[in-house]
Amino acid sequence: MAVDTPPRASRTDVAVGHAPRSEPPLGLRSRLFRLEAKAAPYLYISPFFLLFVAFGLFPLVWTAWISLNDFKLGTPMVFVGLENYRWLFASPEFYNSLWRTITIGILSTVPQLMLALGLAHLLNYQMVVRNFFRISMLMPYATSVAASTLVFAQLFGRDNGFFNWVLSWVGIDAVDWRNGDLTAQIAIAVIVTWRWTGYNALIYLAGMQSISQDLYEAAALDGASKWQQFRHVTLPGLRPTILFTVVVSTIGATQLFGEPLLFGNGQANGGALGQYQTLGLFMYQQGWDYFELGRAATIAWVTFVLVVGLVLLNTGIARWRTRDRKAVR
Amino acid sequence: MMTSRARTAIAVMAAGALVALAGCGGEEATAAEGGADGGSSAGGESVELTVSLFGTFGMEEAGLFDQYEEENPGVTISYETTQGEDTYWPALLTKLNAGSGASDIQGIEVARIRTATTELADKWVDLTQTEAADQLGEYAQFKQDAATTEDGAVVGLGTDIGPTGICYRTDLLEEAGLPTDPDELAAQMGSWEDYLALGEQYKASAPEGSAWTDSAGGLYNAIISTESEIYYDEAGELVYDSNPAVKAAFDLSAQAAADDLTAKFAQFEDPEWNPGFGNGAFATIACPSWMLGYIKGQAGDEGSGKWGVTSLPGGAAGNWGGAYLGVPASSENQEEAVKLAMWLTAPEQQEKVFAAGGNFPSNTTAIDAVADTTDEYFSDAPIGQIFGDIAKNAPTQILGPDDGVLKNEITNALLTIEVNDVDPETAWTSAQRAIDNQLG
Amino acid sequence: MTTMTVRDAAAVSPLTPRPRRRRRRGGDHAGPVAYVLLVVTSFLFLAPFYYMIVAASRPMSEMNQFPPPLTPGGGLWRNILSAWDAQPLGLAIWNSLLVSSIITVATVLFCTLSGYAFAKQQFAGKKALFAVTVGTMMIPPTLGIVPLYQVMAALDLTGKLSAVVLPSLVTAFGVFFMRQYLIQTLPDELIEAARVDGATSLRTVWSIVLPIARPGMAVLAMLTFMAAWNDFFWPVIALVSSNPTVQVALKNLGSGYVPDQAIIMAGTLVGTLPVVVVFVLLGRQIVSGIMAGAVKG
Repeated sequence: MAVDTPPRASRTDVAVGHAPRSEPPLGLRSRLFRLEAKAAPYLYISPFFLLFVAFGLFPLVWTAWISLNDFKLGTPMVFVGLENYRWLFASPEFYNSLWRTITIGILSTVPQLMLALGLAHLLNYQMVVRNFFRISMLMPYATSVAASTLVFAQLFGRDNGFFNWVLSWVGIDAVDWRNGDLTAQIAIAVIVTWRWTGYNALIYLAGMQSISQDLYEAAALDGASKWQQFRHVTLPGLRPTILFTVVVSTIGATQLFGEPLLFGNGQANGGALGQYQTLGLFMYQQGWDYFELGRAATIAWVTFVLVVGLVLLNTGIARWRTRDRKAVR
Repeated sequence: MMTSRARTAIAVMAAGALVALAGCGGEEATAAEGGADGGSSAGGESVELTVSLFGTFGMEEAGLFDQYEEENPGVTISYETTQGEDTYWPALLTKLNAGSGASDIQGIEVARIRTATTELADKWVDLTQTEAADQLGEYAQFKQDAATTEDGAVVGLGTDIGPTGICYRTDLLEEAGLPTDPDELAAQMGSWEDYLALGEQYKASAPEGSAWTDSAGGLYNAIISTESEIYYDEAGELVYDSNPAVKAAFDLSAQAAADDLTAKFAQFEDPEWNPGFGNGAFATIACPSWMLGYIKGQAGDEGSGKWGVTSLPGGAAGNWGGAYLGVPASSENQEEAVKLAMWLTAPEQQEKVFAAGGNFPSNTTAIDAVADTTDEYFSDAPIGQIFGDIAKNAPTQILGPDDGVLKNEITNALLTIEVNDVDPETAWTSAQRAIDNQLG
Repeated sequence: MTTMTVRDAAAVSPLTPRPRRRRRRGGDHAGPVAYVLLVVTSFLFLAPFYYMIVAASRPMSEMNQFPPPLTPGGGLWRNILSAWDAQPLGLAIWNSLLVSSIITVATVLFCTLSGYAFAKQQFAGKKALFAVTVGTMMIPPTLGIVPLYQVMAALDLTGKLSAVVLPSLVTAFGVFFMRQYLIQTLPDELIEAARVDGATSLRTVWSIVLPIARPGMAVLAMLTFMAAWNDFFWPVIALVSSNPTVQVALKNLGSGYVPDQAIIMAGTLVGTLPVVVVFVLLGRQIVSGIMAGAVKG
């Protein structure tokens, strides 16, 4: 958490040219002053928290309660304790969606981050039209899930999609992207990759630019090739950034929902075989196709626990790294 | 109707179009400003009625709302439609539950009517206790039955129904040497097996990339639409896995899929299904009356005269889809709302809607009135007569609360046979497992 | 619920190294290979936008030929007009601007204040409150939709723009972002000095914190605006088709009686255009903002 305010009469006073003070006498004004200082933080966080509690927290807590009920939309809730959780862990569809979430997550995260790293490296050179390149990389990030999925769904068409046409040049038969098992997952991974690669590349680029030039110079003096410099200077310098993007992308992958939903034309079954039914879709299907809100809430909470697990993993990994003394947490 | 362009008998199964989520119907039914109890009948007081529908009921398109406002000074109608029934319904459920937010008139898809007459029975105005009582006898029997609760209350007035036939591409059938006259074609289809046999003939001489029918799921829906008992029995028990009719329909559709007689589309979901109407990807399609408008829209002007329509094999009568208008109990203008709903579903208005978009009337007077209608687009087929006969003979289907889940899983299983080469028995078993897990 | 995904938090990773001297690799100019690679990747990133124009400017029947056409046709204007006919796109764009602007202003203001409190002030319950805030960032955005709808129904707001604005006025992400940013950019010494000089807390915020936070606020504003503009899951549930935002109108386009891909594409193009324009105009600032956030915040 935040760095503690140093004790009074600390080096700061000296630093900014004040003589260290003793406690001032407590007049009304200074009492008010102190009161204000005490109350101020609450004032700052109150608008946020009021809104947050009403429209953020309440729905979430309420969802937790719903998960303990048999609640079919349109009928009253009936308390059933952990029945929904029992159902979930006995449900093959749950394990299917868990597995699909993982595979699509890997398919979209790994290439995405590798590409982003390579791109960042290229963008780090001095060049003309540098900004054009950077902006075009970031454009997909600004496109809505709906728009990008719509375009890619056409590109991945079975009978007259662009990608199948390209494949036909090299004599590959038309691929039924949407209905195939791995192919549908690849298609969705492509959409995710297209949207997020440029964004991650910029973050890596920022990390690269903060690596001290001296290290490169020293490496060059030692006769290190460009590749060796990249391996032994750039990568270690980027390690914290890379770790973080890995974890963050993983969390994003866990919550993947819009792309598979729209890729399936709004169908929550994630393909006839459920081949791209992620946890998010599974939840949506239970809640909004089958109106089993209790089960939907349960899936949501289990997903949440998974994500928290990933975050803990993140902090665990973070502990390994040598810390900057001022770094938070 | 295209009840939501047909998520037909089952909402969940064929989502309308691009996107899933969609908004909910109208805003809070604002009682007439100051209208004391809302029942401000013809006292010249002004009243605002809110109408929330889904998909394309064809009422707005036929100018009915404007006409009503004109004929009833003081009434203003604010109309609102949500395209996807699959998102319209959950939103409505939430509002009915909350006891506020529903409109004065809400559309109900036939796949939901069972839920409306059971779990939600107390959320609707019982129309037998209103002016509409006299009009209730005018709708097709099966239509009326489905909207009646155990206690004899009626929750909705029928808008349209989905008498089902077969639509076909006359040009493609001709090329393949098959008959193109509706009667001749019907004569060659004494049964669903004959229909598949014709498909084999078609396949033998059809152009590359043109299949006999669009999808196993559509075929299944057409076959099952002619049954009275499907997934539930009279007592409300789940009988889908012991009902021979279901398995027979499944096996037949699976057969068609395995024999490559289908174009392997998921209806309403597959983006390439739509262009298939125009580019000859399939020669025939199971055709509820509301599909006529859909075909016209997708195949466009160049498809005019290249299509025909005939009855289902063996002259079986089936119904696929349709909808109702209900008045939520939370409405503050019940009396006025019932009046409007009566007017909207009266013969004259249903005829107009049919003329405008092909949604077939559920009101028997209107059914008779449109009997002479022919459709140029469908090679002048006597659509009024074809669909009218089917409508009169369609069985009263026993509907259940989870028909949607069942239909969804079964059509899904058929799709896996088509596109993932799953063996039919395996597909059936997975569907059973999924259904049991979902409903268990 | 503007869905600011947790991914956005990457921009403010607490683990990114703190800035050292900016590195000038003056000698390292991109070689031809680097240029070729960059041109190819830029092309890949931009091609879908081009394809959107192609698909939006031809009738559906032409797009469904094989091979698919790769040049724009002449029907763009017609398709856009059809889309405009089918859905109230003008109103939708106005609504989206309104909603996104309100959300952006509120988010930036409230989240900066809270972020400052969490970053630099001591108060009882701070740790717990912050943990709760960060925890909710990890929750799938769809989790709260049902109760949220019930809340809105209770407040009689369904179908109104407020239903979309209210839940998004603050985001946990925004607080997290501003806290990280301020921890890294706002020296404790300054606040301490102000305190010693007798400035009230509010005064300190006004004359010290806000000026320093401004670049971070700008980045947050851009991220928030884009997220709000592109958000559709909640709006699509909360709004009605007669009073939509852009994304809602596009959804409805796609589910018309007879869906026409070309018209849907045209509508999508219209809905995407504002974001593209913003990028052309402010691209440099957005890029450097994200990079600044990544390093410092």
